[in-house]
Amino acid sequence: MNNEGKGDIPSTGVAPEVKPASVQKPQRFFGEQPLPAIEMAPRVLRYQSRRDFLVFGAGALAALAGGGFLLPEDTLSRMGMPRNMDSPGKEWFLNKALRIDDDVAEALYSVNRRVPTYAKSQITPLKNNYNGTTPDPRYIPGWKLTLDGLASGLSISLDIRTLLTRFSVHEQITRLVCVEGWSAIAWWAGPGFDDLLRAYPPMSQAKWARVESSVNLDASGNPDPYFMSLDLATARHPQTLLATHFNGQPLTVDHGAPLRLLVPVKLGLKNVKAITRITYVAEEPRDYWAERGYSRYDGI
Amino acid sequence: MSHSTLPDCEPKSTSTLPEQLGVLVVRKHHFLVRWSHWLNVPILLGLILSGISIYWASPIYQHKPDPNTGNFDVAADIGIWICAHVPGQHHYSSPPDWIYNHMSLGPGMLALALRLHWLCAYLFMLNGMVYVAGLVRGGGWRSLLPRRTDLLDALRMVRYYLGFPFAKLARRQWPHPLFNTKYNALQRAAYFSVPVTGLISVATGWAMHKPMQLDWLAALFGGYNAARVWHFWLMWIYILFVVPHVILVFADGWDTLRSMIVGWSTRAERSEVVGNEQ
Repeated sequence: MNNEGKGDIPSTGVAPEVKPASVQKPQRFFGEQPLPAIEMAPRVLRYQSRRDFLVFGAGALAALAGGGFLLPEDTLSRMGMPRNMDSPGKEWFLNKALRIDDDVAEALYSVNRRVPTYAKSQITPLKNNYNGTTPDPRYIPGWKLTLDGLASGLSISLDIRTLLTRFSVHEQITRLVCVEGWSAIAWWAGPGFDDLLRAYPPMSQAKWARVESSVNLDASGNPDPYFMSLDLATARHPQTLLATHFNGQPLTVDHGAPLRLLVPVKLGLKNVKAITRITYVAEEPRDYWAERGYSRYDGI
Repeated sequence: MSHSTLPDCEPKSTSTLPEQLGVLVVRKHHFLVRWSHWLNVPILLGLILSGISIYWASPIYQHKPDPNTGNFDVAADIGIWICAHVPGQHHYSSPPDWIYNHMSLGPGMLALALRLHWLCAYLFMLNGMVYVAGLVRGGGWRSLLPRRTDLLDALRMVRYYLGFPFAKLARRQWPHPLFNTKYNALQRAAYFSVPVTGLISVATGWAMHKPMQLDWLAALFGGYNAARVWHFWLMWIYILFVVPHVILVFADGWDTLRSMIVGWSTRAERSEVVGNEQ
């Protein structure tokens, strides 16, 4: 009976109702049970093995094909496999994965959950991360923030003096996290985005803000307007600021003088410097980095 | 990788079985365990390759920029060294990129690497659930649990592996330590710690991915920056595991490799050893 395990079945002469497997109980829950040996007809075993080898082989081929399909062209050509097709299917598939991740991020977000704040002693240096060239500061004196898509139907322009006198200033020391992986703890101050939304309510169907900087430059110094989508649920977060001050001083041109978005629940690339226009819209607006293969929601 | 010191005892076994002439096998791996085991190969490869591509965007280990190359990444230094000293690599077009071109998808493709990393990460988590489901349904989880005698047994196995090549050279007998469990203590330690590593990799991944919404998780690992360091070094555990894992599977033989595909092994006598003990 050694194939059945311990073979402690009482010999009543009648076949036991219960299977032997359940009779051989006095087994500790965590105790390892011996692997039961099974007698298999060689023909059945051969058939099952052939089936498993074929199925697993097909799986291996599918994995290889999938890898070749998904790998970047640069990588493939370095491996000596030049390929000249940017298939729309691949884009669709990878974007699907990205959207799932964005949906997860959106589900995790709560307007009531504050991000951690830090002490002044924990502040770390923050580099000038202008993607390209830092703009010529001559835009600053004539700078205005334009609001579009308001409930009033008007287009409003505000200068920095008006903004600072109309709204109370919030201060916070929070971490700014870059998509590249580095981060910096910095001390920011400025009006809350939520206060701006209350003072100038967006049109009722608006769900998004398009936040734009027209002064952004590309790497060779040519105008390269920066635009970014921000869901209004995030704009209403109590720690989403229109920052005017950095480390207790008015923003310098490096950090987006005179007004930048500070949204610590998003990746750094959503924290638009030198905002010139905010437009409230019903449909998700275009996004500078989403068009370059990054995610759209970027909630962290 | 189960071991036996007994010869094939098929004839002996059949004597106690019904008349049909069959092959005595044991079911070693539930089919969900087998599938998730092999799926880990492309998924982990994708995670590591895309992960190193992501690492390049902001290396954890940096030094002051080198005046000649402008390089500040310690990993890229290795590539520069290889290009300078390894024959055949002297004319490599971009020495700092050597390591990224050979150990990742390549440098300067952060957006693509992130997309692949998220894709593989979700697949890895799903696959982990499949694996756990297979362990539970097949009961295999019990064979992975550490036990009190493991430390001593592991030392016996280390002694066996260390002495094995010398015994072979000296043509001396070098018996494999006897045990009556599915895995020996070293295997158990390895097969137990890899799923745990997977769990911590996933946890540190989420801590880095959502440091604001899941700040408690980042705090568990010592904060956002520390979670990045954890995540980086956990990768090495997979690499350090895979090398001996593959070597030992081939050393152990076809039956062991095949059992991860078909699920059964003909090393069935071991269950008798266990049975006889009772």
